[in-house]
Amino acid sequence: MAFDVTTHAEDGVLTVRLTGELDSRAAHRFNEVIGAVPGGTVNRLVLHLAELVYLSSAGLRCLVFAQQKLGRGTEIVLVGTRPEVAETITMTGFDRSVTMQDPVDS
Amino acid sequence: MSAPRTRVDRADDVGRAVADVVTALAAAAGLDRGRAYRLRLAADEITTNTMTHGYRGAGGPVEITCGVEPDAAWVRITDAAPAFDPRGHVTRVDGPPREGGYGIHLVLTGVDEFGYEWAGGRNHYTLRVRRVRVEEGGTDGGSADRDTPRPDGARGH
Repeated sequence: MAFDVTTHAEDGVLTVRLTGELDSRAAHRFNEVIGAVPGGTVNRLVLHLAELVYLSSAGLRCLVFAQQKLGRGTEIVLVGTRPEVAETITMTGFDRSVTMQDPVDS
Repeated sequence: MSAPRTRVDRADDVGRAVADVVTALAAAAGLDRGRAYRLRLAADEITTNTMTHGYRGAGGPVEITCGVEPDAAWVRITDAAPAFDPRGHVTRVDGPPREGGYGIHLVLTGVDEFGYEWAGGRNHYTLRVRRVRVEEGGTDGGSADRDTPRPDGARGH
């Protein structure tokens, strides 16, 4: 399933919707989006993951990169994460660094 | 079920090849969704690591075979990169987030049994997951039926 990423920025909130498979082949596309964000302009990153069907360690590194790029003061919220993807995040302990929400909470 | 040997030589092709092999294997073995996902993830991490670090991005032969046994399904990956036993490179994940080391952790904790052998100048990785039958009390609930294996070398051969 092809990877796609769309973004919307408003009032310090960057909303990113990920679709498909975020693996070593797709990671650069996510990193390009995050890398283009001007420093100090985002205080909340909301990642909509309901349509993200696969996340490898390369994708996890993208999330770590986003956290490092945007700074520790930026809250990262994962919305609608599928069970298998959520398990990958939990297995690596990265769930301790983000807030995971069901879609109805967003 | 024993699938034909799949050979990949390019880094860009290996992820798709792994996904196709595991998808077919999961259907043949009746794997639940969670185990099928973790098996694919582990195989993806091994082959991606080989292409990125073993072959230093230049590409090289990676062979994938798989099979079904009464109680398990397995994927075997063979490459000609320098010897690399992931069990000697376990990363702690209880500290702050870091950009490296997650892949090996996902391999060693994601499958029910991991085996490594260096033989004939090649790395041989074997990834095995149990087949859980619904009628025997298992579920199709993905992660819900998961027994978390320990990433220790005792499980390998």
